[in-house]
Amino acid sequence: MDFTFTEDQLAFKEAISRFLMTEAPPEMLRDIWETEDGRSPELRRKIAEQGLMALSVPEEQGGLGMDDIAWSLLTQELGYYAIPDSMADTAYVAAGLLRALPDGTTGREDMLTRVADGSIRIAISHSINPLVADVHLADKIIVEHQGAIHLVSREQAGYERNESIDSSRRLSKISVTPTADSQIAAADTGAAIWEQTLNRGALAVAGQSLGLAQRMLDLSVDYAVQRKQFGKPIGSFQAVKHKLADVVSGIEFAKPTLYRAAYALANNDARADLYVSHAKLASCEAAWVAARHGIQVHGAMGYTWEADLQMFMKRAWALNASWGTRDFHRQRIADDILADDAQIGPRYTFGE
Amino acid sequence: MKLTFNAADERFREDIASWLQAHLVGEFEHLKFRGGPGDEHMFPEERKRWEQELAAGGWVGIGWPEACGGRGASIEQQVIFAEEYARAGAPGRIGHIGEGLAGPTIIAFGTPEQKAKYLPGILNGTEFWCQGYSEPSAGSDLANVRTRAVRDPDSGRWRITGQKIWTSLAHESQWCFVLARTEPGSVAHRGLGFFLVRMAQPEITVRPIEQLTGTSEFNEVFFDDALAEDLVGEPGDGWRIAMTLLGFERGVSTLGQQMQFQNELDEIIRIARSNGAASDPAIRQRIAEAHTGLRLMRYNALRMLSGDERSGPDSSALVYKLHWASWHRNLGALAMDVLGPEAELLDGAPYELTRLQSLFLFTRSDTIYGGTNQIQRNIIAERGLGMPKEAKGR
Repeated sequence: MDFTFTEDQLAFKEAISRFLMTEAPPEMLRDIWETEDGRSPELRRKIAEQGLMALSVPEEQGGLGMDDIAWSLLTQELGYYAIPDSMADTAYVAAGLLRALPDGTTGREDMLTRVADGSIRIAISHSINPLVADVHLADKIIVEHQGAIHLVSREQAGYERNESIDSSRRLSKISVTPTADSQIAAADTGAAIWEQTLNRGALAVAGQSLGLAQRMLDLSVDYAVQRKQFGKPIGSFQAVKHKLADVVSGIEFAKPTLYRAAYALANNDARADLYVSHAKLASCEAAWVAARHGIQVHGAMGYTWEADLQMFMKRAWALNASWGTRDFHRQRIADDILADDAQIGPRYTFGE
Repeated sequence: MKLTFNAADERFREDIASWLQAHLVGEFEHLKFRGGPGDEHMFPEERKRWEQELAAGGWVGIGWPEACGGRGASIEQQVIFAEEYARAGAPGRIGHIGEGLAGPTIIAFGTPEQKAKYLPGILNGTEFWCQGYSEPSAGSDLANVRTRAVRDPDSGRWRITGQKIWTSLAHESQWCFVLARTEPGSVAHRGLGFFLVRMAQPEITVRPIEQLTGTSEFNEVFFDDALAEDLVGEPGDGWRIAMTLLGFERGVSTLGQQMQFQNELDEIIRIARSNGAASDPAIRQRIAEAHTGLRLMRYNALRMLSGDERSGPDSSALVYKLHWASWHRNLGALAMDVLGPEAELLDGAPYELTRLQSLFLFTRSDTIYGGTNQIQRNIIAERGLGMPKEAKGR
């Protein structure tokens, strides 16, 4: 029983973290908001150069062959720096889906190679998400249709942009008419892959939410230590510090569930659904609490456009309902543990 | 990352499971699922005999080093022991303060003579311990201890005078470890000593405190020039030793506690299924949340024990008490809501509580004992987040 990460995994995370700290400061993200596409090809290219896009592509296709466990660290970094680009959709969620397809499936190897070298953007359309991120720039869109997997180009898919509360998000409603030509896997293989994809998407959100929560906490601690009232830093008052203690408590407790779920996905655990729902709920809750207490601790400053806190809060709010709402995930857990044949008791709960 | 047990660990699991199955019978059968939190006052004599049975099987102090009479069991095996112990419904441990707190402290700070004197009684399940920390004016402000220890200049022995309070199992214990002031006039955490005191002496009076449950698990303990058997460490080391000991509390014992929680949650789920509450969407969601919260505890404890150094200095340990206490308090409320109007009805006169009523009432204290939620948050913010301290009155 070992919850630690390998040196490789930690070194990669450290490198990406240092890189994002210098290359993606908040003022730059604000500049990107103002652009039509909302994306910086240069930032994406630089991140690809760091190897992030290749992370979970198999070595045969030029990737690093790492798994969900490494991603559980990296999605936190993407969240911490509020990277606007939906990189995890291509590099993590889509790459995972492609890997799961049988060898020789139309476009599989070619797309994996292009994910690794950073030359493709893939959007994922799953029925759990009414809107799809970054369709407007996508080279390919992988679409769920009654369990089958379809692959279409942006030109084949009609799409209509929708503005998000988070100025970094670029969402579209797509209309695709699935055909025999667009289908790359039938429902008999596709259904299980989609289930895994939903879990991976939810885990990407969980990781980003935890990163966002940590950033909001750090901003709030800084503010509470610097801001003085009644002649003292407001952070010395219990009413203030207790709120931030609750934030760090939520973050620290959610982390191991994220890692447990990543481990389950990486090892094709039959109960991965349950673990992922734990992680998604705990992480989104941690981000929700970080936002609520963060703005309270910032006082009126937290309600301004100027303060960076808003960037992280809005991302957290926006991500909260993607890849399954809280209700969806709670329901998955309740169905599991309240089923007539549910196996309860320490052996089952703690048998893993 | 590797979240599975190896073959040797699985064999260990079979060993303890089959041992429990073979021994938790006959005179011990009725102790199943008894003696846990809120039920600690029940069957003390039978549970003491059970401790001796466990000890005879070699299951006491399994995590202690072999040189001190333990088995040097790995963290994994200690986890497995806690799991199987709870799965079998084995009774609440009456020896846990000795095994989990007094013993490890003596192992860490005691002399060879002290180890030889105190450890065997813990390991063979015949000697039980209680903890003399809190005082009427030293609760959250634990360092404000006023109980004093004076060394007799002729015999060199220490004598203790003062009052301790909220002392669990004092009436069932032969020994107490006591935090007392060795330097007259010293304040706060300076000038304290860590003493081992025999309870059976006329200079000590134990007075049970009746809780709102109508039962008594803890006591007031009065020391009137009572003789201390031993001082651990040097005079003045008391605070450091006491704080190290509190660290032991967050160790493996938390996993055993989680198993108790799991049994309680399972009981609530069983009732919810049978009385129809499980079809209420709001209840279903709360059960799902409770289940998730318990998982969080589980993984957090395992991560803590597997030493994920990247999680920062003790950050997961610091938040642990706050989380489980709040979770357990909410579980108590869930139990009442699952029962509905039936929740208020006593099992019998004069004040016989049902198991879930005991759970509900007992869990009102979880966010208070062992450091209130407010104190926990102070510690998390000041030590974990480095926020400025609030001004203190001294």
